[in-house]
Amino acid sequence: MRPLSSHTIGPFFPKTFFREGDNDLARVAPGALPSRRGTPIRLHGRVLREGGLPCINAILEAWQADAAGRFRHPADPDWAQADPDFLGWGRAWTDAEGYYEFHTLLPGAFLDRAPHVNLLVMASGLMQPVATTLFFPQFAEANAADPVLNLLPPPLRPRLVASPDNDGGYRLDIRLRGSPAEETPFFET
Amino acid sequence: MPDEAPPTRFDPLPAGIAPIVPTPGYPATFTHTPSQPPFRRLPGRSEITGPLALHRKLPCGEANLAEPVPGRPALGQLIHIEGQVVDEDGRPVGDAVVELWQANAAGRYAHPNDARSAPLDPHFIGNGRVRTDAEGRYGFFTIRPGAYPVPGDAVWWRPPHVHFSVLGPSSLARLVTQMFFPGDPLNALDHIFMAVPNDAARGLLIARALPPAEVGSGWLGYRHDIVLRGRRATPVLP
Ligand SMILES: [Fe+3]
Repeated sequence: MRPLSSHTIGPFFPKTFFREGDNDLARVAPGALPSRRGTPIRLHGRVLREGGLPCINAILEAWQADAAGRFRHPADPDWAQADPDFLGWGRAWTDAEGYYEFHTLLPGAFLDRAPHVNLLVMASGLMQPVATTLFFPQFAEANAADPVLNLLPPPLRPRLVASPDNDGGYRLDIRLRGSPAEETPFFET
Repeated sequence: MPDEAPPTRFDPLPAGIAPIVPTPGYPATFTHTPSQPPFRRLPGRSEITGPLALHRKLPCGEANLAEPVPGRPALGQLIHIEGQVVDEDGRPVGDAVVELWQANAAGRYAHPNDARSAPLDPHFIGNGRVRTDAEGRYGFFTIRPGAYPVPGDAVWWRPPHVHFSVLGPSSLARLVTQMFFPGDPLNALDHIFMAVPNDAARGLLIARALPPAEVGSGWLGYRHDIVLRGRRATPVLP
């Protein structure tokens, strides 16, 4: 395939930076066993650009609280009780269909925040990373009270709520650019 | 593990630092950049935190990209790049994971998407991952990357540059950027570099050449400090 100019600009993010298990947020290290202190889930979807075309070789980074809603970081007052076997961070990259996948545990709620997963997307054609947040459909009441989700006009909010699969997975497609009726809402980074 | 409290103040980035998008000369920015502005949120617990000890998840390797196989150095001018990663208050960021990648001396990436005819160097992989020490310092050996042309209606060239990805102590400190070399005439012609509107902010993307007498006879030395957020933040570039 003749590369488009967009390919030649890059970013040529090295594929060797992605290793087996990098997309598993429940593993603190490649060889570590994933934490099982929670409900294992799979997050997946496609990254799309204008025209609904797949965004290939996009890099996604996910960050979330553990199953009890704690971050293993000193900015969380309860961080000493956070799950030591759960990292909460992972990296995935999209395939030829723009498809990504993460494995993790269902995050817990904390303070006024509904359970959520923060996502950062980097891709050819993006001069800077874009940030969005995935919410879960089963927490309708918590979602309705979530201060970050509520920053969006009501018609945009459902776009950040993942759809349940029948096998314990959740799907969220990310439309980098599209008509106002399709484009994913993003947050400042 | 740092005992001191991590930064909790994350001011919005200063004006003139964010690259102009869509970016003239870079067609894909017109099809990938969101058409709507991002929503501003107050940094909460979810944003000011980030993974600690990420070097366990992303193992850091040798800091010598120029000679991955001992005795078989890469082609090109051997250089050493070193610097300090600091936060917006100038405090060192220790244990940050610094990922870097670059073209070889001929301006070619060892990457399946780079299909230029420029030669690949079998002794140069062109990417690596290092970790900052307690003082936030990093350093690595590499070769000076070549410039490469960007095909299109009007050909332009990317000046020699090194891509950096820094994973610091919080999600808001996540930085992807590029480092440029001082005095290169292609810098001012680069659509990517020039997309950062502010002169002073662009200056923060250029490494400082160290006096050769300070460095020694084996290689040329450059210093490139990286500021995560704040008034003197290193600008984001892809
Ligand atoms: Fe490049």
